[in-house]
Amino acid sequence: MILVIAEQRAGKLNRATWEAVAAAQQLIPEADSITIVVPGSGVPSVAEELAAARVKEIVLVESAALEAYTPDAYTIALQQAIERLSPDLVVLPHTYQTRDFAPKLAARLDRPLITDVTGIKNTGQQPVFVRPMFQGKLTADVVPHGQTPHFITIQIGAFRADKAARGSSAVAVRSIKVTIEASAVREKPEAPFQEAKQAVDLSQAERIVAVGRGIKGQEHLPVARKLAEALGAELAASRPICDSGWLPMERQIGSSGQTVAPKLYLALGISGAIQHVVGMKGSRTIVAINKDADAPIFEVADYGIAGDLFEIAPAIVAELQK
Amino acid sequence: MERETLEVDVLIVGGGPAGLSAALRLAQLQKAAGGEPLTVAVLEKAREAGAHMLSGAVLDPSTLIDLIPDFESRGAPLAASVHEDRVYFLTERSKIKFPFTPPPLTNHGNYIISLNKFVKWLSSLVEAEGIDLFTGFPASDVLMDGDRILGVRTGDRGIDKHGQPRPTFEAGVDIHAKVTIFADGVRGNLTKELMRRLQLGAGKEPPVFAIGIKELWEVPRDRVAAGTVIHTMGYPLKFEEFGGGFIYALPDGQIAVGFVAGLDYRDPMFDPHVAFNRFKQHPLVAGLLEGGQMVRYGAKALPEGGWYTIPRCYASGGLIVGDAAGFMNSMRLKGIHLAMRSGMLAAETAFEAIRASDTSSSRLAQFETKINDGPIRRELYAVRNVHQAFGYGLFAGLAFAGFSLLTGGWWPGQIREESGSDRMEKLSEYYGRAGRAIPAGVATAAKPDRRLTFDKLTDVHYSGTRHDEDQPVHLLVHTDVCHTICTEEYGNPCQRFCPANVYEMVGSGNDGRLLQINASNCVHCKTCDIIDPYQVITWVTPEGGGGPQYDGM
Repeated sequence: MILVIAEQRAGKLNRATWEAVAAAQQLIPEADSITIVVPGSGVPSVAEELAAARVKEIVLVESAALEAYTPDAYTIALQQAIERLSPDLVVLPHTYQTRDFAPKLAARLDRPLITDVTGIKNTGQQPVFVRPMFQGKLTADVVPHGQTPHFITIQIGAFRADKAARGSSAVAVRSIKVTIEASAVREKPEAPFQEAKQAVDLSQAERIVAVGRGIKGQEHLPVARKLAEALGAELAASRPICDSGWLPMERQIGSSGQTVAPKLYLALGISGAIQHVVGMKGSRTIVAINKDADAPIFEVADYGIAGDLFEIAPAIVAELQK
Repeated sequence: MERETLEVDVLIVGGGPAGLSAALRLAQLQKAAGGEPLTVAVLEKAREAGAHMLSGAVLDPSTLIDLIPDFESRGAPLAASVHEDRVYFLTERSKIKFPFTPPPLTNHGNYIISLNKFVKWLSSLVEAEGIDLFTGFPASDVLMDGDRILGVRTGDRGIDKHGQPRPTFEAGVDIHAKVTIFADGVRGNLTKELMRRLQLGAGKEPPVFAIGIKELWEVPRDRVAAGTVIHTMGYPLKFEEFGGGFIYALPDGQIAVGFVAGLDYRDPMFDPHVAFNRFKQHPLVAGLLEGGQMVRYGAKALPEGGWYTIPRCYASGGLIVGDAAGFMNSMRLKGIHLAMRSGMLAAETAFEAIRASDTSSSRLAQFETKINDGPIRRELYAVRNVHQAFGYGLFAGLAFAGFSLLTGGWWPGQIREESGSDRMEKLSEYYGRAGRAIPAGVATAAKPDRRLTFDKLTDVHYSGTRHDEDQPVHLLVHTDVCHTICTEEYGNPCQRFCPANVYEMVGSGNDGRLLQINASNCVHCKTCDIIDPYQVITWVTPEGGGGPQYDGM
């Protein structure tokens, strides 16, 4: 039996959990052999969301001490859950939180742990787990030995969340109580640390209009903004624009900004320095508008217009509005 | 603020050939002498050993043989032994081959190496001796008590661009040592500070430098045989300018192509990167590179001044070695073996001094004696006036170099030198005097074709340089001179002498153009610190681990 350990924070499911479910389903096709464990306090909505999975059941591991994450409380709670459910294999998404407590949990049970698994070969008698080594320069095939359960953590993105099979109806949710002595929890969680708030996630945008030095001045930005609105696109920029503070840093594309791959990337007055190109060359269709017909951006563009963006951008907007 | 303090016996600042040779020599002396083991630590600002190493490079193995006699069986990465030397004088369209190779440029018995790989290998030997090599830790300040060097402070981590601590803030550590060996490279930030505080350059000539720009190329394998060494003089430089090109053929179709330009040029419109591109466009070079691919780029200053510019290299509790001190033979275009030798001698001096419980200035002065009695002086004294003679132009320099060979460097007296930043002339002087038109700035540069020649920004990408964006600018510039007097007097030469597009004058509405410092482009070459005519640029260490990634260079 495989146990998948879900990850949630304040009642919000971490999407990587579905990737771990997909990995478990590849290991064992029989839905009856997979159970999803949700540690937390008062998080039935997470359990309901996961109940759509084609698995045996969802087990809520509940305790007030699990409201905020601490490695001690999680280790104690999951140790009890594992002892009660006695799985052969425990699968976790390789999140920061997993990295924090999973080694401790495996060590406490004295069981093998294989981290950052990117693939599973289950052709033979025993599944073989593939994981990167030496910063991804090599991959190793690893087979866990010794007493079960064995612990596996799944690299984020290695399995597709949308490939996790859903059942025809919601599966049962039950909860088990665990006891956690307050004195056994040695950490006091503080408010989670937030790296600079990213208001816009350009990597999710389907269309992007990006501006470069050709826009000449901040006062001309509305030209680009109107085009972005007409296309239903996000506005982004090359480095000089963000360095000048005309657009916030979070809208910078390139080696020191974000890497994007939208369906449409429209580059306005961007010369195409390699530092910018590495951040957008994966876009499906690249359209470049630039005065300089020799600009390197035209080497990566699917469609190029050599001309004045201040004439061409409004013309495109007018055409779109017809 | 509370800072951790670490105590060691010998602290080596800089993990290049000089610093690592010092570390290795200390381990050897320790083994031979026995007794209470000395604790030794090496600080290196690069993320990994060798990442900031850039040189041609042709290695004279003389020091290597002395330091690591079994270097071959220990796997020294010597890419190819030199089997052919060629020297050309270039004009714009053609070349004249020297009928014989001038003796200083004869490389029989030498090796073409990648200094990056060589230093990585040295670092593995050092670590195998149990010496701690702390990579990613820049030394930002010298710690002193009066004239006594106590050690260094490592750079703080996690300071944001406004100078405020970020959540990831970690204060630097104070490392105290009985002897600190400064191997911080050409125009080392700490050596510069020591020279100022202790007046180590008193009675010496001002140091002079050059900038070397290099690309590593992969070309079809039959283009040129591995082990071929080509040097050029003349085009694209003017006769008044010092420098030349080099092409070193490595195995597997790799070619190191580079250009060295003296950082004592007079023309404020001179751009070393443009000179490098023109060199590559010369039929001799273009023919070798055609159809190939550029894989790495880098730039680094080199000390050219020679014997008379070497400062006093000892102080109470400290020694200066390698490029930081200027141990380079500009006539032979070689310094790695001298850097290594100076590191070995510094290690011997430090070891004996610590064993004698006397690390005072007068005791460490034995370093100077060892230099004077050994191969370093023998080699450098013979060419003591050569670089200075090039100050009078290419032909004067060449004539003097030849004369020097015959006489062992004799000349009635010492040829004086002025620092490179003083030699640069104002636009009105340089162009006004001759009644020439001032070229229209960077636009005069031939447009890069992105196959053979590249713009600086593209080249910067291939240097692999990387810095955390959210940190204070590590180039301290008194910017008030830039758009006021410098634009008029020198035409903002920072935009040209920097090989990494760090300095840009950008339009800003009413005020005209202002200086923008793209600090994260910096490849740590130190050129700006050296040549800026107002001497208002100071290079300080960025956050540890930042900088270029010179794989294979």
